[in-house]
Amino acid sequence: MAKVKLATSWLDACAGCEMSLLDVDEFIIDLAQAVEFTRSPITDIKEFPEVDVGLITGAIGMNEHEEEAKELRAKCKILIVLGDCACFGGICAMRNAFPKEEVLRRAYIECESVKDGKIPSSPEIPVLLEKALPVNAVVKVDCFVPGCPPRAGDIKYALSELLQGRIPVLPSEMMRFD
Amino acid sequence: MSDRKEITLTINGNQVKGKEGDTILEVCRANNIYVPTLCFLEGLSTVGACRLCVVEIDGERRINPSCTYPAREGLVIRTHTPNLEKYRRLILELMFTERNHFCFFCAASGDCELQAQAYRYQMDHARYPYTFPSLPTDTLNDFLVIDHNRCILCGRCVRVCGEVVGNHTLDFSRRGWRTLIVADLNQSLGQSSCISCGACLQACPTGAIFSKVSAYRGRTSEGKVIRSMCSLCGIGCETDVLVKDNNVVRIDGANLTGLKGQLCLMGRFQQVYSETPRVTTPLIRNKKGNLEPASWEDASKLVSEKIRDYKASRGVGSIGGFASSLCPSETLDAFAKFMRNTVGTSYIDTLDGSSYRAMAQGISVFSKNGKGLEIESPLEAILDADCVLVVSSNPLESHPVAGCYILRAKTRKKASIIVVDSRPNTFGFRADVWLRPNGGSEEALLGALEGLIAKKAKDTEKSMRFVSLAKAVEATGLDKDAIRKAAAMLSTAKNAVVVYGEGILDKKDPKLVARVLDLAKLANHDGLKVISLKPRGNSRGAWELGIANQNGMAKAKPKMVYVLMGDDKFEMGDWATPVDQAEFLVVQASYRSPLTDCADVVLPSPIWAERKGKYVSLDGKVGHSQKLLEPPSGIKDDVEIIAKLAMGI
Repeated sequence: MAKVKLATSWLDACAGCEMSLLDVDEFIIDLAQAVEFTRSPITDIKEFPEVDVGLITGAIGMNEHEEEAKELRAKCKILIVLGDCACFGGICAMRNAFPKEEVLRRAYIECESVKDGKIPSSPEIPVLLEKALPVNAVVKVDCFVPGCPPRAGDIKYALSELLQGRIPVLPSEMMRFD
Repeated sequence: MSDRKEITLTINGNQVKGKEGDTILEVCRANNIYVPTLCFLEGLSTVGACRLCVVEIDGERRINPSCTYPAREGLVIRTHTPNLEKYRRLILELMFTERNHFCFFCAASGDCELQAQAYRYQMDHARYPYTFPSLPTDTLNDFLVIDHNRCILCGRCVRVCGEVVGNHTLDFSRRGWRTLIVADLNQSLGQSSCISCGACLQACPTGAIFSKVSAYRGRTSEGKVIRSMCSLCGIGCETDVLVKDNNVVRIDGANLTGLKGQLCLMGRFQQVYSETPRVTTPLIRNKKGNLEPASWEDASKLVSEKIRDYKASRGVGSIGGFASSLCPSETLDAFAKFMRNTVGTSYIDTLDGSSYRAMAQGISVFSKNGKGLEIESPLEAILDADCVLVVSSNPLESHPVAGCYILRAKTRKKASIIVVDSRPNTFGFRADVWLRPNGGSEEALLGALEGLIAKKAKDTEKSMRFVSLAKAVEATGLDKDAIRKAAAMLSTAKNAVVVYGEGILDKKDPKLVARVLDLAKLANHDGLKVISLKPRGNSRGAWELGIANQNGMAKAKPKMVYVLMGDDKFEMGDWATPVDQAEFLVVQASYRSPLTDCADVVLPSPIWAERKGKYVSLDGKVGHSQKLLEPPSGIKDDVEIIAKLAMGI
């Protein structure tokens, strides 16, 4: 049976969802047998190929994230997002209560561990968006797995369903926002 | 009150019965038909704010909230069509996108009704753009935090504060999506009329209002909830206590919107945990004069020896004992039997004994027929009053739930409130008439009120000598019209209730107590309705055991004194002198204090949560509190300690 082609991406994220994914323990072997990993944060592939499933963690915090999400959306048939940040904005959205300038000033100048800080502003680096957004604010998303992070069991359930050709919605007992 | 007519409705295809006057939601609940709600809380008025409870009703063009729609005979209703479920999901998405509902760091996560509904509706994303508003968090109150980011404007806090607590501190401000819950005229909750009872906390379905003492210390699912009772002030609120890992995490009222269930800052927050150092082992004062840890054997042996010595050399009258009325009846009974039967002394008293003697003698002077505390009314009598006279007491401070009952009478029954107190008393701000007589002139004032009431009623019976208005004005320094106004209120009232407290009891004047009772009788045609707010949770239990009956101890000056403090907090009182003059002092207490510091033997006592107990409320109702925690190792139960001491004699 042909392997399911998968591309993953982490955006405005902490990698906690990836850690939780690794917690599926021996199921990772089943995954490895059923799935062909293409571009991901840890594989050295520069462009997204055409894939069956795209997986995104993290919120849309910078313009680069928006571009990458749109790119992956165009290249995949089914887009799944993991974690509160991707589903709702999550931890990344906590900065949304403050104006962007204040956030940058706090991080790069006022922060207690910063000496002689300067807000970076090179054309080579991404631009912080006014507000961090959930992924579905910029692209259509097919499957959501909330949680901070989602538990390994939730991720295993969602991926198993996808591998069997179904697009899951997590049952209430598996749903969690923390 | 006539029974309401039974009606029949069709809900989801089934015939169900309800009562005329019910809402559709009430009929559903009575028939175990689940309808999702958020702004509904049993016992509060309904407002239809959240719209989660919408139902389809034949003949209605639109869907309607079932919590406000009156049920009628013959209505045909559907509670769970795909359309209704779709709208409920939309409502939740609108709520989540309106404000900042970050579950991942919220103290209420796992115990949040909004979150539970979102899980129920499998809300894994929202289709609306998030607004991400910038909203404040108010942390100034000692116990309560209001985080407006989590508020869904259900209004349960506003309604419970207004309808149940009667304080009406909380209300809505502004409009639309800018609406904010405010305290008073937009003060911080910590600088407002808030009495920190925490009813709003318990009513809040989300983490918008959370408590500093309980946050992050455990979810309900992680611990065990035990039904118990608060034993602090004598009202006897029923509690549901969440216990986790041998800690009290949270104390809720078992019956928040009903009676004796709303709790107060003392019962809900201050006794969750204490940072006062505990007495953890028995202590004996050594030859150098310092207290040092000792074994239970050595400590109890020493106490028993000393009792035998004093008995033999100075007689049984050289031994006296005090017990705190915070102790449960089992402990007090064991104490009384030990002192009277085993030791053989009659010199026992409670720490609040002088209050009892003033009251008991006052009742005796007034009633002249051997009656006692049974002349008092149940606390609920306040709720039916149309006039409440509060004498020398600030109920909101000493017995907050009683104070709230008075405010509830004012809100629901338009009761008038009169406060008489020569001391500074902020409850006066709630009163329609606030009289501040000169210190010591209370009797004159009460006598004048009696005189005016009797004159109005053309009452010629003179059960006590009345005081003329002129004399009262001179003694009290009050304006005569103010006194007249108070008397008029009492005269026109059909159901006046008198509440008095520590300001009267501390005067130790039975005649003053009798005067209060006489005024109460005169003011109410149906017989006197009086409630005394007693000092401690089991004051009535202790007094009914007869422990405070005699007062020979001040004169007898016992040389050996045994003080059973339990987990009471140290306060100077009438018992200070006998204790001060004792040669040998034994203190049984939970906490270190100036009293334990000057004792010769200290015996560690469990705290309220570490023992079961029977208590008699201030209005005579028996209740039981449960053992919730294991005490630290080495601490014995009070009854066990007393038995051990008795064995050695």
